Amino acid sequence: MGDGNGRGMANPNSSKHGNRPEWLQQYDLIGKIGEGTYGLVFLARIKAPSPNRGKFIAIKKFKQSKDGDGVSPTAIREIMLLREISHENVVKLVNVHINHADMSLYLAFDYAEHDLYEIIRHHRDKAGGQPINPYTVKSLLWQLLNGLNYLHSNWIIHRDLKPSNILVMGEGEEQGVVKIADFGLARIYQAPLKPLYENGVVVTIWYRAPELLLGAKHYTSAVDMWAVGCIFAELITLKPLFQGQEVKATQNPFQLDQLDKIFKVLGHPTLDKWPTLVNLPHWQQDVQHIQRRKYETNGIGSVVPLPPKSPAFDLLSRMLEYDPRKRVTAAQALEHEYFRNEPLPGRNALVPNTGDRVNYPTRPVDTSTDIEGTTSLQPSQPPSGNAVAGNMQGAHHPMGNRGVPRMPVVGMPRMPGPGIAAYGLASQAGMGGGMNPSGIPMQRGMSAQAQQQQSRRKDPGLLPAYPTQQKSRRF
Amino acid sequence: MAANFWTSTHYKQLLDPEEVDVVQPADKEKGITVEDFKLIKMHMATYIWRLAPQVKVRQRVVATAITYMRRVYTRKSMSEYDPRLVAPTCLYLASKAEESTVQAKLLVFYSKKIPSDEKYRFDIKDILEMEMKILEALNYYLVVFHPYRSLAQFLQDAGQSDLTQFTWGLVNDTYKMDLILIHPPHLIALACIYIASVFKDRDTTAWFEELRVDMNVVKNISMEILDFYENHRMITEERISAAFNKLALKP
Repeated sequence: MGDGNGRGMANPNSSKHGNRPEWLQQYDLIGKIGEGTYGLVFLARIKAPSPNRGKFIAIKKFKQSKDGDGVSPTAIREIMLLREISHENVVKLVNVHINHADMSLYLAFDYAEHDLYEIIRHHRDKAGGQPINPYTVKSLLWQLLNGLNYLHSNWIIHRDLKPSNILVMGEGEEQGVVKIADFGLARIYQAPLKPLYENGVVVTIWYRAPELLLGAKHYTSAVDMWAVGCIFAELITLKPLFQGQEVKATQNPFQLDQLDKIFKVLGHPTLDKWPTLVNLPHWQQDVQHIQRRKYETNGIGSVVPLPPKSPAFDLLSRMLEYDPRKRVTAAQALEHEYFRNEPLPGRNALVPNTGDRVNYPTRPVDTSTDIEGTTSLQPSQPPSGNAVAGNMQGAHHPMGNRGVPRMPVVGMPRMPGPGIAAYGLASQAGMGGGMNPSGIPMQRGMSAQAQQQQSRRKDPGLLPAYPTQQKSRRF
Repeated sequence: MAANFWTSTHYKQLLDPEEVDVVQPADKEKGITVEDFKLIKMHMATYIWRLAPQVKVRQRVVATAITYMRRVYTRKSMSEYDPRLVAPTCLYLASKAEESTVQAKLLVFYSKKIPSDEKYRFDIKDILEMEMKILEALNYYLVVFHPYRSLAQFLQDAGQSDLTQFTWGLVNDTYKMDLILIHPPHLIALACIYIASVFKDRDTTAWFEELRVDMNVVKNISMEILDFYENHRMITEERISAAFNKLALKP
């Protein structure tokens, strides 16, 4: 695809080898690395004789939509945008494949080993709360802003920024480079964009800007900047900044608990500071809860340990500005003093000049789909948010909590599997593969607590932890 | 990209007229001429214009759909990609790309309401299969720019906003031709304003001069549009049927 001459755009006819599409022969399929409502994600490696042989690729498979409506609009949006854009800090779509036999669609991306969700979780749960290196925080943030500035200057709003959608490249030439992923909700805002809830789309609320929570009728790029502010704080504290409990089963964007969490930290918004507040539907409608309630203003400094006069504090405050028109833009943020002070941000966010690098765990791979499996237990790693594009819940299995071995966190070589013979089996990942006797994706190095965290992540309706990953995205 | 036409894939994909007027070998074998080829595309563009209001999509979606269809036929034969299925499917795909998704079943339902022969009847399954083939034929390039937005801006700038309706109609008609595959959309908009200026006797000469665009190109596009109107009168149902009959021939 990307090169325009059709190289790699393999003929998608699929009938010659059973269910295995012909295009798949250019890859060695290694295993499943993620799963979501839209489908599955696999890790694969480009085979010889391609000049890119050996390169790791994440293949996102879109399920055929159940309601008989063809290619999902999410996939269409993602393809449409990613075919146009090209930036170092935006995930690269290297190929699109179609399997006409079962009407499935595959997007092939450059594989990213890490994401901010896993990096934060590693520090919080495994590294005993050891903060992320200030160089790493600054470099991650700078690159995130750099990618976002590119998107915004091209009139694209991401609309679903969260740690699991911010990928970081693993070892290799691009090590430590940030890639913004998951453009399934991204939009070109030629015309004003209506809120997602009008399409019945549910996105995580923790990173949602206050104007949207108060029912603003249209999106602006400022909503992405709010999310960046929340992510910035989370990189520093290792905890989500505003963990509101989502009210489900409603088309209403009004999320009182989420607003409550925000107000408790930032204080009550005032018309003085945010004049257009008066136009927001829920500000007007829910006088009792929203307007009358009084909050003690402790300020962001009460939850994020930054000196009040520091550049980092100033930048964070500007990102969390209530009035979207006053909120700092990506372009302005890149020019902020914070990035001109030592340590200066760098391209490899993971390896500071001081050399005290952290070995972040690699992504879990469920190789139980590999029927040519050979010898030992193939250890899987803990489910991770997202290899390419967010909204996955990691490879998991109904019995995933059973028999979890504790394995070393680092230094686990990735097993380049020989590729599965029948691609059709991939969709039954975890259902009795050869090399994994119990047929479950094993989660290495996971404490019971982390397990719980994972399960929480799947059902935030019950527990105030990570919000669900687009479980109920509808079209 | 969305902000800048010059860096878009739309711009990079613009073709020369000679590249657009190529009848695919499979169609050529059946005796399809360049004229037949143009006629069928025009007929199917009109079909999309008729189908669109039934499923309540905006003109922009229609314009994108027709552009998709025309792009498909720069690469694929009508023998293999039946225009009567490609046209509604392009509308279906465009509705998704332009954020106003129409359900396939609605499209199938309403396509039956439009007076046309049996060959225009399709199942949902046909549409869904063709959607994927079209995505592939388009090489997954889905962002399309149209003259409408620049038209409105130009008219306002020229102080000729009262020509909106007239020029808008002209722009709509340009989709019966392949102009969108060949010229940047803003030049198509300017050509329509140029024609309107002549017809409505407006002096826009000074305004055009200030624009610093190649007036030769604008005038050439205008001539093409006027030629089309001239020839359009000669198009009869019989000629269209004859072209489709050729297509139906077994090779």
